[in-house]
Amino acid sequence: MLSTFSVSRILFPNIQSLGILTPKLLNLGPYTLDFTSSGRHMAVGGRKGHLAIVDMKTMGLIKEFQVRETVRDVVFLHNDLFFAAAQKSMANILMTGRYPYIYNRDGTELHCLKEHGAVLRLQFLKNHFLLASINNFGQLHYQDVTMGEMVGSYRTGIGRTDAMQVNPYNGVVALGQSLGTVSMWKPTSSAPLLRLLCHKGPVSAIAFHPNGHLMATAGKERKIKLWDLRKLGDEPLQTLPGNAKTLDFSQKGLLACQLGNGSSVQILRDLDGNQTYKTYMNHGMVKGFQIEKLLFRPYEDVLGIGHSMGWSSILIPGAGEPNFDTLVANPFETSKQRRESEVHSLLDKLPAETIMLDPAKIGTLKPERKKEKPTKQEKVAGIEAAVEVVKAIKLKKKTKGRSKPSKRTIKKKELIAKAKSPFLAQEMKEEEQVARKKQKTIEYVETPTSLLRFVRKKATA
Amino acid sequence: MAQTKRKSIDGGGGDKAKGKRGKPGGKKQKKGADARERKGPRLPNVLRKEVERLNPIEDEDIDSDEAEVYGRDFYEYEEELPEEEKRKNRRFDPVENLEYQLPDEFEDENVSSEDDDNDMGEAGEGGGEGDDDDDDDDDGRQGNTRIPAFEGKKKRNTNVVVSEAYPESEYNPTRDTLDGEGPVSIEDLLNPLHGKTGYSKLRKRIHHLEKKSVPTPAPLPKADQEKLERMAAYEKSTEELRKWEPIIKRNREAPTIYFDDDMDLRSSTTSDFKPRTEFEKKIASLVYDDQVKDAHLKDGSRLLELNKVSAEDERDRHNRMAKMRSLLFRHEMKSKHIKKIKSKTYHRLLKKDRLKATSAQSQMDPDAAKELAMKQEYERAKERMTLRHKGSSKWTKRIKERGIDVQDEGTRAAIAEQQHLHAQLTRKMNSMKDGSSSSSDDSSDEDDIDLYSPGSDHARAAKLLEKAKEKTHNVLIDDDDVPNSGVLSLPFMVRGLKKKNEAAAEEAKLALQEYESWSNPLEDSSGADNLKVGPPSGRMVFNGSKNKAPESSNKTKADNKMRSDNYYANSDSEDDLEPEENVDVEKDRSSDLYKDVNISAALLHEDSQNHNDSLFKNFGDIVQAPGPKTTHEVSIFAAGSWKKIKSGNSVDANGKKSIRPLESVERNQNLQERVDDLDEDSDADSEGQMVDGFLTSDPKDEYRLPSQAELIRQAFAADDVEDEFEKEKQEVLNEENPEPEKPTLLPGWGQWTHVQKKKGLPSWMQKEHEDAKKKREETLKKRKDAHLKRVIISEKLDKKAEKLFTKTLPYPFTSKEVFEQSIRMPLGPEFNPASAVGALNRPEVMQRPGVIIRPVEFEEVNPQGKVEDHKQSGKKQKKKNKSNKSKSGSGKIVTKVKTKLKS
Repeated sequence: MLSTFSVSRILFPNIQSLGILTPKLLNLGPYTLDFTSSGRHMAVGGRKGHLAIVDMKTMGLIKEFQVRETVRDVVFLHNDLFFAAAQKSMANILMTGRYPYIYNRDGTELHCLKEHGAVLRLQFLKNHFLLASINNFGQLHYQDVTMGEMVGSYRTGIGRTDAMQVNPYNGVVALGQSLGTVSMWKPTSSAPLLRLLCHKGPVSAIAFHPNGHLMATAGKERKIKLWDLRKLGDEPLQTLPGNAKTLDFSQKGLLACQLGNGSSVQILRDLDGNQTYKTYMNHGMVKGFQIEKLLFRPYEDVLGIGHSMGWSSILIPGAGEPNFDTLVANPFETSKQRRESEVHSLLDKLPAETIMLDPAKIGTLKPERKKEKPTKQEKVAGIEAAVEVVKAIKLKKKTKGRSKPSKRTIKKKELIAKAKSPFLAQEMKEEEQVARKKQKTIEYVETPTSLLRFVRKKATA
Repeated sequence: MAQTKRKSIDGGGGDKAKGKRGKPGGKKQKKGADARERKGPRLPNVLRKEVERLNPIEDEDIDSDEAEVYGRDFYEYEEELPEEEKRKNRRFDPVENLEYQLPDEFEDENVSSEDDDNDMGEAGEGGGEGDDDDDDDDDGRQGNTRIPAFEGKKKRNTNVVVSEAYPESEYNPTRDTLDGEGPVSIEDLLNPLHGKTGYSKLRKRIHHLEKKSVPTPAPLPKADQEKLERMAAYEKSTEELRKWEPIIKRNREAPTIYFDDDMDLRSSTTSDFKPRTEFEKKIASLVYDDQVKDAHLKDGSRLLELNKVSAEDERDRHNRMAKMRSLLFRHEMKSKHIKKIKSKTYHRLLKKDRLKATSAQSQMDPDAAKELAMKQEYERAKERMTLRHKGSSKWTKRIKERGIDVQDEGTRAAIAEQQHLHAQLTRKMNSMKDGSSSSSDDSSDEDDIDLYSPGSDHARAAKLLEKAKEKTHNVLIDDDDVPNSGVLSLPFMVRGLKKKNEAAAEEAKLALQEYESWSNPLEDSSGADNLKVGPPSGRMVFNGSKNKAPESSNKTKADNKMRSDNYYANSDSEDDLEPEENVDVEKDRSSDLYKDVNISAALLHEDSQNHNDSLFKNFGDIVQAPGPKTTHEVSIFAAGSWKKIKSGNSVDANGKKSIRPLESVERNQNLQERVDDLDEDSDADSEGQMVDGFLTSDPKDEYRLPSQAELIRQAFAADDVEDEFEKEKQEVLNEENPEPEKPTLLPGWGQWTHVQKKKGLPSWMQKEHEDAKKKREETLKKRKDAHLKRVIISEKLDKKAEKLFTKTLPYPFTSKEVFEQSIRMPLGPEFNPASAVGALNRPEVMQRPGVIIRPVEFEEVNPQGKVEDHKQSGKKQKKKNKSNKSKSGSGKIVTKVKTKLKS
């Protein structure tokens, strides 16, 4: 049996040549990656079950193990201590594991999230402590990782998809659909907040600009499109050619996409600041490398590429945010600081309801309900208006004493009463409804008649 | 004045002379009274008596008194003269002067004081009734009541003439009492007090009483009474409370209330401070020294004088300071030193750690390993030079001569150390000897060379193979010479031996072939980088040395040797040997031997070694040896070219025996194939790998299926995406704004069926339906995605998120837009100037711990100014709120007021 140790030796020999670090892995790939929010740690997951955590500062391996199951996705939770991996056993009846698991950094399995099913993509919402997943039946799950409670579980009805991305600005999850639609979801509603027809072919990848206003989508019809989420329109901001399986925005807004047959990377950049992206850099991988995942490393000018032969990182000048805020993410965090920040982030945890398309709306006046009752004043005003109308009617002059003043007054009174009557009837009706509602609530308290015979009678002494 | 005059007149004895009294003030009134009296009807005496009894203060009774006393009737209708003047009887004293003047002193005493009292007292009561006014305004009856009283008094005082037969007593009542007019009036009681100090006041009070002597009405029912009381109380209390309103309002509207500014600690702590201890007393005497106080009071110059310090004192102080400083410094140094001292265990652990680190380092890093080796070699060389351990130095010899027991401990320890060193070294030598007795000098040399030239792995490997070949050749050759005599020369024995030899030769040939195959990949990988795929150097050397001695290629012995070699080889190796025995040896070697070699490669090599050694062994042994059963493929990207190195050997139990060359060929082919494969489809390739690798399941189908499905989906998905989307949008719209139901008619309901058929739906129904439709269209138009074909924006309200919104517009705001604008402005220190931040997020109540919160005090508040304050924020509030007020305090006040009202 090949020990994992050998793999690690091959994974990290002491090559660090000119910023390009390209270790090869033993065909356990294609590899998917995830960075912690500070960019200090990286989790890699090989399709063939190879999971590892790497300290990116020292380029040292922290832990590496083989789960012997297909690994679909890996994602770090709130810090480098925990990560989740979407796994699936290799079509073996006896090994029925097809769930995401949560591991700690020592590789110990902490949780098996069976409710999620056979998950294709995982995303972690770090402000809300939610682990979002989409499984192969198109079910979207949100699980709170602090208390373990399942916050939301919805059948999206969009079929199997592995294009899933969280908008870092508002926590909304975007899912790509095979019909070219991108739908956005939140954990508290079963219907998508937004549906956007982006492509004519299936959507293969989605990426969000860190400011949350720009979305890039890639379709199988060999198009990459950029969308402004603040001003949604039928037409995208920009359409670029390219058949990308994976997209990623850097902190400074560079867009990395895979090009060609999957073995070259193109970096686009918004040079003029008017949201027109142009080619900035190109990087060709060795032919035959299948790029699985592109991910910019936060706070560094480095792009991580997970591919079929391992992972590589290339330098992209100007990609990362040069000035990190230690209160947000600290790449040089000590363990004490990490503990502190963990507690702080838990205290600052946002409830799931705060996820909405425009979080700036929170605290504003409640949007009006569609069907609101007219106020009393309005009702009175309505009645008065009707009465006025009636009063303004001039009665015809009639003969044979039918136009006597007494008759006229009677007639007028009748007319006014008639005008008022629909309003009054309406009012009555409403009152009745209220009364009925009240009755209903009372009735609910009582046990149904069919069960009355089981009710224990009170001792009547 | 008028009264006094009246008195004086009375004193003059003129009872009936009221009309003539001639005083302008009193006259009018008296006239009226008189007129009534005189002109009244004449009553029978009995009746009159009755009346008098009921109304004793009226002057009639006095008159009647007189009438009785003297048996005469005074009550005539026409009467010209007052009786005094008539002098009909002796009732009145003859008075010369009717205008009587009171003596001076009497007047001074009484009148003046009475007047004063009247002025003051009456004004106070608000009645405003001077005696004159009284006389003027009041009806005659009152005038009557008063005047006759005085008259009567006068009469009693003055009437000395009348005498009774018996002295007046309770057994002998006066006639008055007997007549029935006896009840003693207040005047009667009062009169004797006349002229006493409190009299006037008393009189006034009584007067007041009389004036108010209107019959008291019946009390109201209790409920009404209480109601009135409550009303009054309520009014009172509301008034009381209204007074507080502006203060309370101000406090309520204040953004912040302060409870901390009138804290005065000084007074509480230092006001009643008295020096108690000697030190305190001393200080106090110095501080409160008269001289100093004076100096403070006057000016600073005197203080300066007092402050003078002598040079000696200063020097002393300086010295003292220096001493203290040096002491401190020394103490500091000492503590520093102490702090540095670590425990024995700490050092032990540290040492352990260091050792571990170095060993790890040496394992990882070739340079470090080299350094370590150099160091050890240097030590060895030094030992060789000094030969300290031999005990041959002069000093040791002398000590031995003298006897070790006599020596002190230090020397003994030194000697012991030497001996220990000696033992160690000799043991090492011995172990070397019995481990590989055949190891010659050149092999050890070779060993050394190998050790220190990590780059020459290849050469070594090649060399090793050479040697192995040589050895097998030797064996083959050796087999040729057959013993000529003895049991072994017997024909069947010879035959058996031959057979054996043949088999051996076969195997040897196989081995040779294998060596050949081994050497090929090695040559291939000559350009490879620092990955150590070749067999490790150390073991090779030992093998080589062993192979050089063909005489000792006895099976068991070889095995043993291998074992012993393993001592030096690797502690990680799977044959578990006691590493404690030769720790130092291992330290010397193992780290050197395994520098960058990965372990599995080593293990593999071990297996191949086993092959080498056990040409004569049966293969079962080999199979039993636990080796990795995987094909280990390493692909390396270097210098832009692809190279694959097979660093493993599949040790398959069944495939081993016969088809070695074939297998090797196959492997080569395989290798090529794989490289090709990789170019085509790495996925499929890797799956193949997985199959013969450690993942036993066959995942090929697993991966294929979804991708096929994907392909199908891809093929058919994009047909009419837009139509699909349009449909979807319609669905959503229908769901969120459902279409109005079509009006339906029940046949015969409301109208006759034939009418229904003819007219169709009634117009109102149609209108209703159209209205609903229109309404729906309008709402659809209002949607955000109304003009967007490719966008659906859900307008569902999230009930769970409702709590995050503001329910109603907060108070000062009047429009939604303004409010939303205001909350958009952040409050944090990053967005606001420091001066504003404090005011913006100051808490509602500022209180310093330990400060007593006093109840609100009343103060005049300008209601106009308050509005202004409300708009201002921050610092102005602070000033305004200096007098501590709180809502709770005001509440207390309210309750207090209530309780007061109740009680």
